Amino acid sequence: MVTAGIDIGHESVNVVVLHDDGILGHATLVISGEVGAAARLAFETTLGRLGVARASIQRIFATGVGRENVTLADGHRTQMLSHARGAHWWFPGARTVVDVGAEGNRVMRCDARGSLTDFALNDKCAAGSGVFLETVAGMLDIPIADMGALSLRGSSDVVLTSTCAVFAESEIVAEIHRGTPREDILRGVNDSIVSRIAATSRRVGIEPDLVLTGGVARNAGIVQALREQLEMDVAVPEHPEITGALGAALLAREPAGAA
Amino acid sequence: MLVCGIDVGARTAKAVLMVDGEIAGHSVIRSGPGSAVAALKAALETTTLRREDIEFTVATGYGRVVVPFAQRNVTEIACHAKGNHYFFPRVRTILDMGGQDCKAIRCDEAGKVATFLMNDKCAAGTGRSLEVMASLLQVRLEDLGRLALEASGKPEKISNTCVVFAKSEVLALARQGVPTREILAGLCEGVAERVKGLLRVVGVEEDFVISGGISKNVGVVRRIEEKLGVMSHICFEPQIVGALGAALFARGILERTGPNGR
Repeated sequence: MVTAGIDIGHESVNVVVLHDDGILGHATLVISGEVGAAARLAFETTLGRLGVARASIQRIFATGVGRENVTLADGHRTQMLSHARGAHWWFPGARTVVDVGAEGNRVMRCDARGSLTDFALNDKCAAGSGVFLETVAGMLDIPIADMGALSLRGSSDVVLTSTCAVFAESEIVAEIHRGTPREDILRGVNDSIVSRIAATSRRVGIEPDLVLTGGVARNAGIVQALREQLEMDVAVPEHPEITGALGAALLAREPAGAA
Repeated sequence: MLVCGIDVGARTAKAVLMVDGEIAGHSVIRSGPGSAVAALKAALETTTLRREDIEFTVATGYGRVVVPFAQRNVTEIACHAKGNHYFFPRVRTILDMGGQDCKAIRCDEAGKVATFLMNDKCAAGTGRSLEVMASLLQVRLEDLGRLALEASGKPEKISNTCVVFAKSEVLALARQGVPTREILAGLCEGVAERVKGLLRVVGVEEDFVISGGISKNVGVVRRIEEKLGVMSHICFEPQIVGALGAALFARGILERTGPNGR
């Protein structure tokens, strides 16, 4: 059976095409313009790249913030269901899944089958979100991809006392003016973001194995800070940003109506 | 009797000089290193008073511990209650809207704090959110309130509370061609809504006063008044109320205990 999952985020759309033996292919595109059109473009691009005909895909599920606008999909599932299922596919021992996206973080608990049992989320506040990391990258003029490695070299001298990302920005400006090394600032930022993620995690309770999903999982500094604050090993999938789309594709395998 | 109150806030530092219970001079300057001394100097320059004649100084605000020449520190909550009570003795509900926080205070007939609630954890509803949005929309902060009042249609709804997320929302609205005034009206509405939540907890009474920098923003003030159904009192310089409260505490201490403050 061949299925597809489309995950519409705030900034990018991810597509996964799945067959019985595993992932056939996947793609990530930055969203520009209307969500439905962006989803269609990403989907067609992926199919074109794989040389797969639209007719050979038996079911398409959408997930993410814009999932209801994806008219080409046969159905849709919440991010919580998709991320739990996707993370479980990569790590069958996963019982807690932490997803850090551009506009917030969410923590899911799942059972041995990868089905969602409970979740907590914070999507009201930018502290603990990917957007805050992007802002800091801009302030320090560092490519996002380099942030993690740099922060691992930093000391823990910088402690951001503000919870609010807006107030934290002023603290960062003060550190820059003081001549504090960028590595130390990045480490302080990671600790601050992870403390918000840890707060969400504690609300739902944490049980190993813990999997970190979403693009922010590519930041090794965040992964390290999460390990330290939760005192637990953190598993990161090979392609953390496609976890939601993968989960949607997995859910699309199940009989219609089952959720 | 010359006393001094210094309020070192997150965005501005203020000084008030009082002679025998009357305001003799005051100042408001941008806060930064050494701003307590600079605010005192600026206030003295508006008078013929001399610094060495100041008998007692009380500091308040976030930066109150970095005012080396102050003999005492008093919390900004107590100082705002005291300062507002000086201008409006019948006032029982106070809203102080500063650069980085917002406080709703209920006080008694003596200007003593009965209860208060403060938001200093989140930029939403603080002066900082308006600063961010003013610079985003390239509007001068002092023009923001007036422009918001000029909006003709319904205020544009800003659905995000978080300032960071609201920034993207505001940019998207601006790109869609929504007039700046209507966006500003929506932002003022958002601030008023946040503040209403704080005030509801402490309870609002008829004699209601607003102090702090945002009380100079008519767009926000009108919307708060509409939401609460009460008119607000605002003194001639709402940014100095905390420093004034500090000066009043200085005077009280001096009267009770003499120049050593013991």
